[in-house]
Formats: sequence, structure tokens, C-alpha cells
Amino acid sequence: MKHLIPEFEKMKQRYPEGFESSLVLPCLQRIQEDRGYVAEEDIVGVMEYLHVPRIQVEEVLSYYTMLRRKPVGRFHLQACRNIACSMRGSEGILGHLVAKLGIQPGETTPDGRFTLSVVECLGSCGTAPVVMVNEAYHENMDAQKLDKLIEELR
Amino acid sequence: MPRLTIDGREIEAPAGQTVMEAAKAAGIFIPYFCWHPELSVPGNCRICVVGVEDKGGEWVDIACNMPVAEGMVVYTNSDKVRERRKATLQFITLNHPVDCGICDKAGECTLQDYHYEYNGERSVSVDSKVHATKHYDLSARIVLDNERCIQCTRCVRFTREVSMSFGLGMQNRADHSLVRAAEDGSFEADAYSDNVIDICPVGALLSRSFLHKSRVWYLKPAASVCPGCARGCAVNLWHRRPEWRLRAADMRAQNEGIQRVTPLENPAVNGPWICNKGRDLAKVFGRARAEVSMLKGRPADLHGALAQARSLLASARKPVAVVSSWGSNEELAAFKAALGSRFTTFVKADHEPQAGEVLEDAILIRADKNPNTAGARALFGDAAPAIPKDADLVLVWGEGFDFRLIPPEAKIVYLNAWLQPENGHADVFIPISIQTERDGHYTNFAGVTSAFSKCFAKPVGVADAEAVFPALAAMAGGGQ
Repeated sequence: MKHLIPEFEKMKQRYPEGFESSLVLPCLQRIQEDRGYVAEEDIVGVMEYLHVPRIQVEEVLSYYTMLRRKPVGRFHLQACRNIACSMRGSEGILGHLVAKLGIQPGETTPDGRFTLSVVECLGSCGTAPVVMVNEAYHENMDAQKLDKLIEELR
Repeated sequence: MPRLTIDGREIEAPAGQTVMEAAKAAGIFIPYFCWHPELSVPGNCRICVVGVEDKGGEWVDIACNMPVAEGMVVYTNSDKVRERRKATLQFITLNHPVDCGICDKAGECTLQDYHYEYNGERSVSVDSKVHATKHYDLSARIVLDNERCIQCTRCVRFTREVSMSFGLGMQNRADHSLVRAAEDGSFEADAYSDNVIDICPVGALLSRSFLHKSRVWYLKPAASVCPGCARGCAVNLWHRRPEWRLRAADMRAQNEGIQRVTPLENPAVNGPWICNKGRDLAKVFGRARAEVSMLKGRPADLHGALAQARSLLASARKPVAVVSSWGSNEELAAFKAALGSRFTTFVKADHEPQAGEVLEDAILIRADKNPNTAGARALFGDAAPAIPKDADLVLVWGEGFDFRLIPPEAKIVYLNAWLQPENGHADVFIPISIQTERDGHYTNFAGVTSAFSKCFAKPVGVADAEAVFPALAAMAGGGQ
């Protein structure tokens, strides 16, 4: 985390004085982008850098499904379960992924290739149901499309 | 100051006050869960909605976050308000298990009270309730039932605004939200953590030491003063009501023990809080008692012990007394009146700080771990006990005095409440009553005097120090 401090310093200038604790979220996002997840040393680093109590970092980490405290596999599959995707069959999508990959949400395949997560709204309700793979959206998903997608990634 | 009308009563309230505060000050009740007079306003529970008259109509909003304004007309119990409250309670109880029958909070639960008062209906939800963790160890002292929690965040705000441990937070989101302790153990180390049990408006946070010990309606509080430090916080000592006495043979501890300790609000001393040490007073007062008088370690009757002490005092040339900083003002005054002129008197600290306890902080805890040092010093000065070599009689009152400081030839008269090895080393030992067995007053470090009241009868054979001193003086020709 230490090597990101110059970047954090730049971000800090955009925040009013006394609101440094608001930087917890952008700092954690940047750390995750850098490391792939937020490690224990990053939590302690953010606490010390921003002078915030540990509970504030923990609250942010647990509130947002996009922040994680463990590394994920090569491909991170995030299936949306929010209302629009649910109405368009996200439960079936999720069930199909669980069967296909042989893991439950929150787990990673033994070969470290796939991690499956269930997330709240991805903001693409018009193309529900949506599955996100790393940074890419895969829209209007169904079983065939999923099979094809997984084959390409294997 | 703005003038406003609440439920037809015209009141005046300082600008900047909220409708909640103004109503409370005027004695008008508005229900609340998340609001607390000593904490910030989160406005999340919505139960304190009130109606405000506007252009012939009425709008409703929360009283806890509504500033008073000139000419405002507020209704706390209109049809619209009652309807809204009822709906709010439906939401608040949406995932609440309604297991009052097995909940320690029953009888003093705000949610239970409001449900009877404002809702009184079954849940209209057809969906199953969200399950969450039960019997979760929030700390070694506190058990959390997340299903009962209504997420008012009072406990979280307490750790951020009062105890300053930042020990608690809300984890996850929506109906998966959980109160959790920080992973760094800051809540475990919070010396004020048990206050969250009192401020929890439901039965989510429960005291492990009181868990399933008693229904609260079998208990009654005795107003008392915590003797744990020189702050002298006002406390309630909860003990079994005499009419609900348990009659089995081994029930003395149940009937005559302190079941739990809670703060008694006193703005001049402790506000509505006490520290965890105060919660554990049952351990201090529950220690083994000395109940028999002794002459050089041999049991004697109280009358004989008093007679022997009197004769020792009559023949003493240089008597010295070490008085207790746990004595009440009344007892100390009785000593002064009866024996003050006969003795050279020092005040001692009965209790010293223990390893692991907070020595002193900026909230309540004081370094002096005795309740009445100020009261005792006001009468006898603040010189540390120094027994002169030529003292031939030493009267020691209370525990915590090192008998090796007494010249070997000097006779010892010892008054103590507890069963301790020193008792047998005294020439005369007289067992005395403890704070819970008498009425009295302590004066705290800041000079505030607080009263404590009797909740149990003293054991047979035990004397009140207040009566012992005049009895010693009666024939010794001291003070009178």
C-alpha cells in the first residue's frame, strides 16, 4: 500500500479539510485494483494513513460487495441478484454457474481459475440478467451463452 | 425564544432545540428508539413521527430532527401520526422474532411497550423472517441476538461518542446488516461497554452475567453509590423483591445477593453511564463476610469484644486510629464525635488499583479506588497514615491496611466486614456491616455528596460502625 501514498496524496487535495476519512473508499478501491484484494496490512495502512478507527475500514469493506478481503481466481464471475435480473431469471443463471463450476458463491475453483460471487445491482437492468467477468459485462445471459463463455475462459 | 403548540399546550423552547427535546422538557411524551439524549441524532427508526399543522392540513416528520419554529402547531397523537407509527412498527418488527417469553429484556423493553401502545397487531408480512446470528459473543461480557436487533445504532454511536473506543460498527448491508465488534478487540477493551446493554431499546444486547438469571419484575432497585472509585457514580442495585423471595434452603445468595447493577442517572456525577467495574459490584459485596467477633483470634460475643476494646482504650496512653475511606459520612462523623479527641487519626485507602483495571480516564474513572476519601479527609486531614513508634493502641477500620506498619507492642482493635487473615491478628476484632446493609452518604472527589440506601439486613452478630464508636467512647471517657 505504501507505494500508493503519492496517489492518495493527490486525491486528498480534492477533499475538504477535515474530511480525510471520506478517502477510505477510494483508497480501498485503488488498493484492490493494485493487489487484487484488500489485505490485512492494507487495512492497517489505511487506518494509519487516514487516522481512522479500524471499524470504519471494516464497515466499508463489508458494505460494498465489490471490495474483498481475499484474493479471487483468474476470472471473477459476478452474478447480479437484484430485482431486474431476478425477474429475468438470475436464479437460474446462478444455479447453472454453480453446477457448471462445481463451487458455491464465494468460492474459488481448486485450479484457481474461477471465483463465483453474487452481487447487488450492476446498473445494467435493461440487459438483465447480467454476469460480470472481471471488468467486462456479459448481458442478456442464458444457459447457452454461459456455457460458451465458460468454454472460452477454461 | 420560539413559541409553539404541542398537543394544544403552548410552550416556549430555545431556538435550535428539536421538537423532541422541547416536548421532553415540557413533559410531553414522544416515543423513540434510536434517539438518545446523550447521543447524536441518526433519525433512522422513524417511530418519533409527529404531525405539524400546515395550511389546514397536516404533514408528518420525525420529532428528533425537527427544529422548533415560531407558531408551529404539533400533534403527537393525531390519527395520521398513529397510523404512521403503526406502519413503522410493522417494519421494525418485520424480522424481529417476538420471543419476549424467553427474552431477558421483557418487562423493560421499549419495543414491547410501543408494540402494546401503538401497534398491537400481528405482522402483516407473508414472507418468512430473515434469520441472523443468535447468542453471538460480542465480547466476553455481552451476548448479541442479531434477530432481535432493530439496528437503531445506539450502541455503535455510544462507542464513538461516549466511550470513544470505536469498538462497534454495522457490517454488511440492508437486511443482512449486523452489529459487530471491530476485529482489533477495541470493544473487548472498552471499560464502559456494558452501557450498550442499557441503551439497547430491545433485547439484542444482553449481559452475560445476568443472562436468564431473573425476570426483571421479580427484582427491585435500591439507589446506591458505586464504591469502585472516587467518582461515586449513582447506581441501582437490583435485588429480589421480598414478596418474591425464593423459599428453598440454599437460596440466600438469590434472595440477598445483588442480581445486577445499572446506572442511576445523576447529571452532577455520572450522567446516565457507569463503567464495567460498577457492573461487577456483586463480586465486591459478595465476598465472604466476617460475622463473629474475636479476641486474639478466638471467637467472642460482640458485647465481650466491645467491653475488651473499651478497657484497652481506657488504659491507652497514645491511641492512633486509621479510618476507612469506605466509611459513610455518618459513620465518619460518629467516629469524630465519639472518639475524635481521644485518637490521633489518619485516613487510609482501603482499596488500591488492581492490575489490569483502568487507572484513570477522562470519562468517569478516577485513580483513587475508594468512594469517600474526600468525606474522610474533610474530617481528619489528608496526611498519609504514619503510625508513631510510641503508639500503644491502634484502631484500624476497614480492609487494606498493612498490619506490619503497627508497632509490635501496640494493641490492635480492628473493625472489618470481610473474612480476612488480619482479623485473627487483632487483640479485638469486631465485624461490621457493609454499604448494602445501611443507609448513608459518600462525598466524591469533586465534593458532590450522594446517598446510598439499605437493601439487605446485616448478618446476626455484625455491628454498625456508627454504633460501635459511641459504644467505645461511653466508658472510655473519650470525646464525651
